[in-house]
Amino acid sequence: MEWKSDWGLRGRMVLTMFLLFALYIVFVAVLWEFTGSLLLIVLTMGLFSLGQFFFSDRLALYSMGARTVEEDEYPRLHAMVGRLSQQADLPKPKVAVADSNVPNAFATGRSRKNSAVCVTTGLLRTLDEDELEGVLAHELAHVKNRDVAVMTIASFLSTLAFMVVRWGWLFGGGRDRQGGGGGVLVAILVSLVVWIVSFLLIRALSRYREFAADRGGAMITGKPSALASALLKIDGRMDRVPDRDMREQAEMNAFFIIPIRSGIVGKLFSTHPSTEKRVERLRDLEREMETV
Amino acid sequence: MGLFDTIRSVFGTSAEADATRDADPEDLFGMSTAYLTMEAELDFRPLGTAALCFSSVDSTDFADTVDEVEAILHAGEEETGTGFRRHRDDHGYHWVVLDDDDPEDLVTSVHFAADTFVEQGYGSRLLAAVFGFERDGQRAYWIYSFRRGAYYPFAPAGDHERDQRLEFKLETVLDGELDVEDDEGYWYPLWPDAPGGHPWN
Repeated sequence: MEWKSDWGLRGRMVLTMFLLFALYIVFVAVLWEFTGSLLLIVLTMGLFSLGQFFFSDRLALYSMGARTVEEDEYPRLHAMVGRLSQQADLPKPKVAVADSNVPNAFATGRSRKNSAVCVTTGLLRTLDEDELEGVLAHELAHVKNRDVAVMTIASFLSTLAFMVVRWGWLFGGGRDRQGGGGGVLVAILVSLVVWIVSFLLIRALSRYREFAADRGGAMITGKPSALASALLKIDGRMDRVPDRDMREQAEMNAFFIIPIRSGIVGKLFSTHPSTEKRVERLRDLEREMETV
Repeated sequence: MGLFDTIRSVFGTSAEADATRDADPEDLFGMSTAYLTMEAELDFRPLGTAALCFSSVDSTDFADTVDEVEAILHAGEEETGTGFRRHRDDHGYHWVVLDDDDPEDLVTSVHFAADTFVEQGYGSRLLAAVFGFERDGQRAYWIYSFRRGAYYPFAPAGDHERDQRLEFKLETVLDGELDVEDDEGYWYPLWPDAPGGHPWN
């Protein structure tokens, strides 16, 4: 059987990236035009991001309190990741487990060779074999699609814009020979707009990448319904966990399989599409399989 | 990393593209001569068993395909005397296990089964074809990875340990004859369900 390609999803993804790219070009042009000194920040930030990118796998695992586990500690988990990687044509990533009651999983690493998939002990307790396989395949699809790299590149200048908004006034004070205080003010205002718009675009991109990983994961396992039922199960559990964990883990949201929602966050601001939408799309895939 | 792969990453479709990429069962015929080399150069005798590992799809159409493969192999059983059985391992993966003292017949049957999957549009569900060898109680396997389109050696030693020296030796001797996977990151082990067993039981 042949799967139908989701051209709508691809179109939206490319449009989002294009808009983001265009926005960034305008941003860099404005910085260049109005301030010379701010470009220093660009360089510093560039180095900083590079370092972060390089250590991202260890940073993410460390901040989650996750530990890389060996094959003899979690033989079944390792075997599962191994088989799924084989089906996805990936070298087997490192496997990590975080001791947390919140059922969740994430993938990290700058490249396919330096990646890790992490699951929480809560996830291992909550899901059955098929569902766990579905979630792991979703994470492997993230690795396969290089989502950490894509999102890091997409967010780089947005983070920079934020830094300018926050610290740009330090460069005001009239000592700037090229543009003076006025130039810096323009730079700060433009940065503010760039930051807000790019933030929304990045969130949209993140949601599209989730849909793509759901599709990829479902095709790796051949069981879209298993991932759907896992999502429903995890989502149901999310409301009942104590919120201390939620705040601790808020930063990692972007790479979680289901984000931890803090209060009422608008659709535009969330990194993940709603569980209903994801389940709906997985059901479409399931139907496609039966009606070839 | 090729250009197309980069583009697919940007589109977020690498995972689906590679998970659904079709297999090329013609590579399996390379095993015919490899059987001879294994015995002539390394004293590894054929185990008389080969197997095909696949992961299922949750659909009736796929179940029909598996039935068709079984029917074909049953017919072959009467013709060439190649024994055949089905096995589901502890990880939920499925196996078609074939027994025949003639390696030539084994390769033909494995190819026949694989080809049927490909023809029904399920080539992407084929994980591996495994060919068994033995030398003084030491077992070794050549595994063909349908996803990579390449072979790699697998020499289990004890419980979840690999005899890497032997694996590299097999690679050195058979390289050129078989298309050997050069990135060892893709030499996935296929552990038997119980220590001392074969990957297919």
